[in-house]
Amino acid sequence: MGLKRLIAFVLIVLLCFLALGCSGKDAGRKEDKNQLVYASTKDIRNINPHLYSGEMAAQNMVFESLVINTDQGVMPWLAEKWDISEDGKEYTFYLRKDVTFTDGESFNAQAVKMNIDAVVANRERHAWLDMVNQIDHGEVVNEFTYKLVLKQPYYPTLEELGLTRPFRFISPKCFINGMTKDGVNGYIGTGPWILTEHKDKQYAIFTANKKYWGTKPKLESIKWKVIPDHQTILLALQKGEVDLLFGADGDMIDLDSFKALQTEGKYKTVLSNPVASRAILLNAHQPITSDKKVREALQYVVNKQAIAEGILNGSEAIADTLLSPTIPYCNVPLSSRTYNPEKAKELLDAAGWIMGSDGYRHKDGKLFEITIYFNSNNAQERTISEYMQSDMKAVGVSLKIVGEEKQAFLDRQKTGEFDLQYSLSWGTPYDPQSYLSSWRIPAHGDYQAQKGIAKKAWLDETIGKILVEHDKEKRQKMYDEVLTYVHDESIYLPLTYSRTKAVHVANLKGVAFNPSQYEIPFEKMYFEN
Amino acid sequence: MKRYILQRVLAIFPILIGISFFAFFLINSSPSDPAEVALRVNETVATPEAIATMRRELGLDKPFLLRYGTWLLDSLQGDFGNSYITKQPVLNEMNKAFPATLALASLSLFITMGVSMFFGIWCAVHEGSVGDKIVRGFIFVGTAMPSFWAGLLIMWLFAVKFDLFPTSGMDGFHSIILPAVTLSLTFISTYIRLIRNTMIQNRQENYVLYAKVRGLKEKTITRHIFKNSLQASLTALGMSIPKLIAGTVIVENIFAWPGIGRLCVTAIFNRDFPIIEAYIVMMAVLFVVCNLIMDIVCALLDPRIRQGE
Repeated sequence: MGLKRLIAFVLIVLLCFLALGCSGKDAGRKEDKNQLVYASTKDIRNINPHLYSGEMAAQNMVFESLVINTDQGVMPWLAEKWDISEDGKEYTFYLRKDVTFTDGESFNAQAVKMNIDAVVANRERHAWLDMVNQIDHGEVVNEFTYKLVLKQPYYPTLEELGLTRPFRFISPKCFINGMTKDGVNGYIGTGPWILTEHKDKQYAIFTANKKYWGTKPKLESIKWKVIPDHQTILLALQKGEVDLLFGADGDMIDLDSFKALQTEGKYKTVLSNPVASRAILLNAHQPITSDKKVREALQYVVNKQAIAEGILNGSEAIADTLLSPTIPYCNVPLSSRTYNPEKAKELLDAAGWIMGSDGYRHKDGKLFEITIYFNSNNAQERTISEYMQSDMKAVGVSLKIVGEEKQAFLDRQKTGEFDLQYSLSWGTPYDPQSYLSSWRIPAHGDYQAQKGIAKKAWLDETIGKILVEHDKEKRQKMYDEVLTYVHDESIYLPLTYSRTKAVHVANLKGVAFNPSQYEIPFEKMYFEN
Repeated sequence: MKRYILQRVLAIFPILIGISFFAFFLINSSPSDPAEVALRVNETVATPEAIATMRRELGLDKPFLLRYGTWLLDSLQGDFGNSYITKQPVLNEMNKAFPATLALASLSLFITMGVSMFFGIWCAVHEGSVGDKIVRGFIFVGTAMPSFWAGLLIMWLFAVKFDLFPTSGMDGFHSIILPAVTLSLTFISTYIRLIRNTMIQNRQENYVLYAKVRGLKEKTITRHIFKNSLQASLTALGMSIPKLIAGTVIVENIFAWPGIGRLCVTAIFNRDFPIIEAYIVMMAVLFVVCNLIMDIVCALLDPRIRQGE
């Protein structure tokens, strides 16, 4: 009698559960095949194009720039063409005449001036981007001609005007007191998508801009769905609630899951061309790694081939130099230093680190022990570290591995309290100019690690000079010097060139990549039924 | 009785001020500079000038005690300051997130009560039977299983395999079921055990023997035992209301539920002090108030406690 009642209760509960489930079954389904659902761990937040608090991919959907960065270099966008003055200080942009903001405001030289002035008015906030400091003023020449006057002939001007932020255009009606730095009263741009609905921390809907001046998007809308947990994102993809995952550096999907989905064959997986450099910083300001011979020896210790194939599943290309030769100005002849433990041993012996009976090297009674720090959220970096640990053990080097919470990791980077640390460049179109420029900022690990090398002051000074060198040949010569010096000093142990990854349902077509790993070209995507 | 309640209510204030000061102190002793983190989170390179501007903007350049004093006075007037990251008033952020958490916690409480009362009583009555052993096995597993794992298993089974519920998000009533069930799992296990054990203990009491001697029906006796066992469970239940709300952190992250737990986790990672502080104070208020209410209810239910006062 008792047991029967127990079973009956369990059955009733289960039935209720099933009934509830069935009643809501269709609500979670996507009926509209013209809507693409993209899953992100982060909400779009505040997408004011002149600030940094929102998701870049979302900012890129709504707001556009005068020029764009493509694989073929800088191309016209909202500006049809431009002239550069002889001295490289004046850029005159001839704007398209058929562009309007989605609130009906006309896109003209006045709007351009208002936007660029608003960015310059918040100069402190854009300190990372030298370009903002270089702007002297802007002029409205006529309704559709705008002239930008610089203080010095800053060479990456066009590249940086094409970045996802801050030089993008928001409708003058959205300004508050003629400014954007303290907020805006709407997110109205000229882009292919209009932000029509945003539920904080839940989702955002972008609808296609029917009056878009360029090639109109093929999809009707994009749903940006916020799912903070990676495992949940995978389950949502398997259930068909999500159509697309997209992201760089293990942000959206870890490599094991990527591989699993690839072999499953139900989904399409796509990899971009190599975009950014993944390297290990060898801190020249710490006792053991301050010896150049030691840093050089470490270049031969790590088996990059095995890391690229074994850990990264062949999804990344091996890096022999810090920046890929395909990046502008980086095709510099540098000696590639491949895996060679014997050579490493010789160099370490020469540096006075003698192998002891415990299997580790010692010098003046001190053990050769160094520590690598990484952001504990990054599963990939942990695995790579563990792999390096065994490679280092083979030549008698003890490597300690410490994973830290992101902010603690960044704090450590700032103080320079590390022997080894990961360094990831920002990728095209930020490389090489913005990446090199950031070496001069003390809060960066790069700066801290370079502090111990002899010509650090010269290095920073030269980088500063490169940015305002008008003559291309002289610029190239200076890049050669800087990259060769950094290479010879062995401050970086280049590992691989990372790629952006995308996973999508089979009937979604047109999934491609922009040069910037932070943008998602939704406007090219469509469903094939 | 009135005096007792008044005393307890007055004692709340020093407790809350103590907690808020301690929390404020601990948060501010964290090694990361919130001004710097606020810049980093917004992907701005934190140059010394930018940090200095941000510190001024956030009022972090003032001495600690002055900051605490200002915060305390403002918060007494219901102003918990603005988030360092989004610049929105903390109260707005809390108000937006709280209803979602409250809905989740309420449904979990409902499920917990229903399921654990049934199984608790059943197991006490059929102590040592096969059914009792199965339920106890379930309790064991339920307590031991971390909720992130349980959540993913439940999601995989009921959302992906059986295709009954959406995996995540807040989209109508059916989307609350899986997170609520996950959240209630640990509590259910605790309560079944609690109800079962108190009832078994109570069965040894003299009044049960007396009831048996009087020839009362088994059902009636069980009802008496249950009523007498209720007190211990009630206190525990009262305390589990704030625990439920505080416990949503992991479940909300897995099920993409836009509640207060997720708000707090993000705030911790971003060193968003005003939100962390407000969250701690809110939790403290919930615990203290629930504790007080439960004590009063118990006093009302049991004359012995009242007289002992």
